[in-house]
Formats: sequence, C-alpha cells, structure tokens
Amino acid sequence: MSKDDNKAKSGAVLVVGGGIAGIQSSLDLAESGFKVYLLEETPAIGGTMAQLDKTFPTNDCAMCVISPKLVGAGRHLNIDLITNSELMGVGGEAGNFKVQVKKMPRYVDADKCTGCGACTLICPVVNIIQPVEEPYIRLSDEDLQKVMPVLDKYSGQKGNLMPILQQINQIFNYLPPDVLRYVSINLNVGLSEIYNIATFYNSFSLTPRGRHTIKICMGTTCYVKGGERLLDKVKDEFGIENGETSEDMRFTIESVACLGCCGLAPAIMIDDEVYGKVKVSNMMKILSKYI
Amino acid sequence: MNALNQSKGKMKIIPDIEAFETFRNDLIGKKDPTRKTICVCGGSACIATGSLGLIELFKNEFIKHGIDDEVDILVTGCHGFCEKGPLVVIRPEGIFYPMVKKEHVPEIVKETVINGKVIESLLYIDPMTEKKIVYEHDVPFYKKQKRLVLGNNGLIDPMVIVDYISVGGYKAFTSVLESMSSDKVIDIVTDSGLKGRGGGGFPTGIKWKLCKTAKGEIKNIVCNADEGDPGAYMDRSILEGNPHSVIEGMLIGGFAITASTGYIYVRTEYPLAIERLKRAIEQAKEFGFIGNNILGTDFSFDIEIREGSGAFVCGEETSLMHSIEGLSPEPSQRPPFPTESGLWGNPTNINNVETWAVVPLIISKGSKYFSDIGTENSKGTKIFSLVGKINNSGLVEVPMGISLGEIINGIGGGIPDDKEFKAVQTGGPSGGCIPASLMDIPVDYEKLAEVGSIMGSGGMVVMDEDTCVIDIAKYFLSFTNDESCGKCTSCRDGSKAMLDILTRISEGHGKLKDIDLLVELGGAIKDASQCGLGQTLSNPVLSTIRYFRDEYNAHIVDKKCPAHVCKALVTYSINSEECIGCGVCLKNCSAGAITGNLKEAHLIDSRKCTKCGVCREVCKFNAVIVE
Repeated sequence: MSKDDNKAKSGAVLVVGGGIAGIQSSLDLAESGFKVYLLEETPAIGGTMAQLDKTFPTNDCAMCVISPKLVGAGRHLNIDLITNSELMGVGGEAGNFKVQVKKMPRYVDADKCTGCGACTLICPVVNIIQPVEEPYIRLSDEDLQKVMPVLDKYSGQKGNLMPILQQINQIFNYLPPDVLRYVSINLNVGLSEIYNIATFYNSFSLTPRGRHTIKICMGTTCYVKGGERLLDKVKDEFGIENGETSEDMRFTIESVACLGCCGLAPAIMIDDEVYGKVKVSNMMKILSKYI
Repeated sequence: MNALNQSKGKMKIIPDIEAFETFRNDLIGKKDPTRKTICVCGGSACIATGSLGLIELFKNEFIKHGIDDEVDILVTGCHGFCEKGPLVVIRPEGIFYPMVKKEHVPEIVKETVINGKVIESLLYIDPMTEKKIVYEHDVPFYKKQKRLVLGNNGLIDPMVIVDYISVGGYKAFTSVLESMSSDKVIDIVTDSGLKGRGGGGFPTGIKWKLCKTAKGEIKNIVCNADEGDPGAYMDRSILEGNPHSVIEGMLIGGFAITASTGYIYVRTEYPLAIERLKRAIEQAKEFGFIGNNILGTDFSFDIEIREGSGAFVCGEETSLMHSIEGLSPEPSQRPPFPTESGLWGNPTNINNVETWAVVPLIISKGSKYFSDIGTENSKGTKIFSLVGKINNSGLVEVPMGISLGEIINGIGGGIPDDKEFKAVQTGGPSGGCIPASLMDIPVDYEKLAEVGSIMGSGGMVVMDEDTCVIDIAKYFLSFTNDESCGKCTSCRDGSKAMLDILTRISEGHGKLKDIDLLVELGGAIKDASQCGLGQTLSNPVLSTIRYFRDEYNAHIVDKKCPAHVCKALVTYSINSEECIGCGVCLKNCSAGAITGNLKEAHLIDSRKCTKCGVCREVCKFNAVIVE
C-alpha cells in the first residue's frame, strides 16, 4: 500500500441500518481502521436476525451467531452507535459527506442504563415501541366474491382456519398469497401462523397448479409394484420435478402417501379418477385423455 | 328392498325408542328374504375399475326384460376382495362374479337372474386348486375370515340408513339408551378386552373410563380417520361401506363418556368416504339419532366432520387435536393425556374408526361373545389390508391369534408367478419386516412386538424375492423423514442421517460399520423423540438389519443387490438367445439405449440406460435380464 492510500483511509463511515449486515460491515470497517457511525432506526441494534430461532441453510442457532457481534459492535472503540435515529439528508461529495441525523428522544441516560429492564416492568403505560403498519390488501372484486362467502360461513367458529384454507384451496386450486393476507386480517390471525399451516400440509400449494393433477401413489404396495418408475416417467416426460407444474399449466405432478387403492397397485389418480395397475408403457396413453 | 326405498322419502324424526322398535320390526317384517338383489361393489377400488358403469346397464336390462319390479340393484360398500373388482354378487343365493365387464351384463341378467343358471365362464377360479367357485361364502378368501365388522359392507347400501337399520343397526344404541347406565356400557367394553385398533393397542374401556372421570364440564370424543399408513385402507372401507356403524359406535361412546360433541377427522384424500359420511350424518339427524334429546331421552350429541389435508403426523392424537383446533399440527408432550386435557383443554377421548365400528357389535352381542374370540391378551377380530406381492389382495378380517402363514397362504392365496415368499411388513412405516421363517407366529399385539414389529393400523405388505429390504427400509425412512413435523431434532435430523446412510449403502458406497451406526442412531432416535412417529421410525431399519443382515452385507461387501432393485448396483442386458428381435423394447425405450435390427437380437447400451425397466416390462419373451 502506498502512502496516498493510507491517507485515504482516514475519515469516517456511516452505516445505515443495524441489522446483521450493518453490524458485520461496521465491524469489518472498524477493524480496518475506519471510524464507524452505525445508524439504527429502532432503539436497539440486531434487526430481524435477533428474533429468529435458526438461520438458513445450516440451521445454526441465530442468537449464537449474532450475539457476539452485538457485543462486539457495542464495545468497539471505533464504532459509535446512533440508535433511535433517522437519516434526514445526505450532502457533500465522496470523501467528504455531511449527513443530517434526527435523533429521537430516549428520556433515558444511555450511558448509565444497564439494560436491566426494571423500568418497563413497572411502567403503567404500555408503550408501542414500533408502530405497526396497517396491512393493506387489494383483492379484485372477483376474488373477493369468492372469498367472502367462505369467511362468512366459518366466521366465529372454533378451529375455523383449516376448513377456510381447504375451501380457498378448492376454489383457486392453490392458496394465493394475497388471499391469505386478506384472510389474516379478516380473522385477525397472524400471517406467519397461516403460512405455518399452509406449508405443513401436503395438499396445500402456494403456487398456481395445473389444470389436472396427477397424483402418483407412493404407498408401500404401489412402491414395491413399481410406483416410483411411474413417477420417473412423468417427471421425465414433462421435465419437471415432483410437486411442480408443467409450463403449459396442463399437469401438476404430486406423489401421495397412499390413495387407499392397494388392491390396484400401482395406482395413480388424475383429478378425481383412479387408474389401477398402471404400467410405464401405457402411462402416456392415459394422460392423453387430459388436455 | 323396494318397500324400504318407498318408505325412505317420507321419513320423519322418530320420537322415542318405542317408535323406533315398531319402525324397525315393520321394516324387517316387510323384507322379503327370497327377493333377487344384485349387489354391485361401490368401494373405491371397484369404482376405479368401472363398477358404477354397470349399474345403469343392469337397470336397462331389467327394463328390457320387464323385471324391474322384481329385482333390486344395490350399490354396496367395499366387499374387500379389491384385486378382483368390479365384484357382483347375486343374492339371496350369493352367486359370485368377479371382474365383471360391461359386456357380461346382458348375459348375467338373462341367465342367472331370470333363468337361475350359473354362468361357468364368469366364475372365480381359485389360484391354489384351480377349481371354479360358485358362491361368495365358498371363496377361500372369504371362507377363512371372520367378518364381524366388514360383514355388513356387502349387504347394505351405505347411503341408505334404513338398510343399516334392517340389518340390526342402531339397535345397540337404543338398547343402551333404554336400559343401561354409562358405567355399565364402559364395563361391557372393558370386559370385552377391546384394544385400540389404531395401532397403540390401549384398552378402550379403560380409556373411556379415564375420560369420563376426568375433571371438566365439556367432554369431546374424536374418531381418528386420518389413515395415513401407506398400504392400509380398512378405515376407508368402513367409512365408505358402513358409515353408520361408526356413527353408532360414537353415539354409544358419547353416551358412556357423557360427551356432547364428536368429531370425525377424515383425510381429504378420501373424498368418497367424506361424501358418504356426510350423507350418513344427515340421515342420522333426520331420524333423530343425532341432535338434542335423542329419542326422547335427555342425551344430546352432535357429530362434526373435520378434514385433514395430507399430513401423516396428524394421525398422532395430539397433532390431530391441534389440527382440529386450527393450530400447527405438531405433537405435544404427554402427559397430560388427551383424556385429561384434549381439544381446547377439555377431556377428549380419541379412538380409531375400526374401534368405534366394533363397539355396537360388542354392546349387542355382549362382552363374552367378543372376548371368546382371539388370544389371551388380544381379543376379537382385526382387519388387515393384505397387499403387495400376493394373489388375493384385499381387506381381510381375521380373529386375533391366527398365524401369519394362514393369512398369507390360506386367505391370500400365496405369492403370484411362483416367486418365493420373502417377508411381510406389518404396521406401515412404524412397523417392521417379519421374515418367512417366522410365519408360524400368531398375530396379536404382544407377539408382533416381540419380533420387532407392531400391529399398527393393520397394513400387511407382502414381499417376494424381487423386493429389496434395503430399498424398503429406505422407502419408509424417506416417508417418515418427509412427514416428520420437525419439532424434535432427533426425528428431523436423525431420520435424514439414517436415510443418507441407507442411500449410500444402496448406491454401493456403504461400509460395514454403517450397519452398527444405523443401529445406534435408531436407538437414539427412539429414545429422544416425543411422539409415536419418531419413536417408531427406525423399526423398519432395525428389523431388516435383524433378519436380513446378509442382504446388507451383500450391498456393502459384494456391491450387489440380491433382489436386483437398487439401480446403482444392477445392469440391464438382453439375452440374445431369447430375443427374437420384435423391436417392442426399442420403441418403448425413452433413453434410446436399445439398438438392433428387426428379427435380430437387440442390445442395451449400459451407458445410456436409465434402468427404468420399461424394456423388461414390455418384453413378451423374458429376454431382458437384470443382474
């Protein structure tokens, strides 16, 4: 490194957003000699990751990953945390920026606070720290007309979420995300809870499905009698994987645990019709009936 | 049965038990036992082979011959012999025609119905003796069974409640209402020795008592019809063929437990069962069996249907209840057991379809009748779905304690194509493989557990020499791995780890210590998982290692699959002496791996071959060899 480069390293950096990305950038910058101002809108850094249980794709514990970094960012001499603040404007040019920051009042002396939380326990007023945005959902009239009767039918019943999702799945042939959001607001059930259920069961799909559904039985009997070869054949034929839909929206392929037609193994079900003792060689002939 | 059909239209709610008795006696009095009835099986399997198409044809033939007033046609529930569908039985004689096609209908009507002659060419031929059999009750498949629960399936129309009443239906329930206390009902069920038919085998009477005596104002009962075991479909057949028996069982159970609501949790893959169940509940409401102040007594009860949406773990009782509540269907820690704190925190009694269906029978025939059947600790009959590589696949109901060999050879008619019998897998993904050498063991809860399997819901998948046990173990694990809800790490990641090892073995990369690793992992998963899914998922692997270690060794050491199933370890080739060069395999090969000229022996290019097996399937000369 030349001397000029070293000179260019002096100065400071402002990092906007104190999530995991912001924290990591601040730490890296601070380590390489920059003075870092880490700006965060909420009263604490950490962001979404601090709220997660595990992270994709390694299933690592989220807190175990982020907490050393939180402490690191808090203690680092080169990092200044500016929390509860908003960026109002940026001026100047590269190498010499000037920013305007609006700092919300905290009414707590941050230098003395140990974060024990005792004040929140005794405060008679329940503070909303972050205002939740009103969810806004636009459904077409057509969709609304389809969804409303379902919601009306089950409104107020105990355990109504499952039947509602089943009916919506039946009407649209999948669960459109907008409709789910609408259901979430209407039933006052968290969207995450709805997604939890929608992704748990095999018969729900979050992507549009083909005109016909080929269900290939993977029951034990069908399996020992060659059900998997039927699945391979259709996968090959349409170039799609299990659970996917062909490009022309003609077929969706699904393997199911058992159709309960073990006497007819290997069996497949197209829409509501069951075909028994199917062979790889006559599979395409059966499919040709469905356009 | 025309008289019955006429009375169907103007039915009103029956006010009390006395009126029901009069109605029932009237019904039975009007029944003409000599009346010709054609029973066409309307089970799912027979519908798939076209049984419903026969009905219209039969009706047209009756009109053509002017006998439509004299003969009835009945769409019944599943007869059980699904292999040979569509099944047609002509009563009262019980003449049995399997695999009836449309073109046979005019002949059947002309010869059998009008002239009373048996059509030789349509009769069932026993594969063991090669003799023709005329009557349904003489068919070996039925002869050796004891069809207590399934018996009525072939006699009644599941969509018509009066059919069920005319064969003694709802009599048990009314007798309970009339003259029994709830404790008495529980005592009868306890004395009968009935154990839960869903797989766990918990004594039903004791469970009922626990639920009844549990603290709580509101009590619920649930019928678990989330039959998720691949290879088992007895619950489906009962629901489709005799839904009222389940409803009656639940009414009796509801009375005994003093519950107010019953839920039937059916999997959505069974549309026909749901339709028939809905119709049955509607009719039971019309007749006043369900509702407030049933038959003038102070017992009130309601039944609701809830549909599952394809999650295997929902068959587990705590998951099932979460699913009904609309929560994420993950199992929860027991205790508290559902009998203390179940649906919405209320005491809840959950039983399987088959358990509910057998209750009316126990009440009407007495606990002694039931406990006389079976072995010391396992009473009564059990329905198995006998499927896989077997001649007579279908539903069989047998007394507990019958030997496995009797079921497979006596009822099932042995293995097709002269193959050698290898093993039978009982209990679905939670059960184990039982090898041919143990065929003499009696089938009951204890004995199956002793040999490393379970009764489960009653799936029985027969395997012959062409089935690879490692492939089967892999299959079950990939199923349980897929269906694991993910709550317990041991189950979620452990099943994946075991599956990876098995896949490695089946691809020829296994090591000898892998077997020990599998055993160790299997034990750990069993100990560390919360619900039945995790606790039992290693059974298929452990039992196959126990009985078929040789086959594991063959995969690992010799890199060979003795059953020629594992794709990575086999090659396809054509025997040039057998091949006549017809070109059928060449036409069907989607990989383009087969070459050859007409009337000359063909060749398979092993580099292009995807081992899909089509060539072997279409070859009429058995010229394709797998090694």
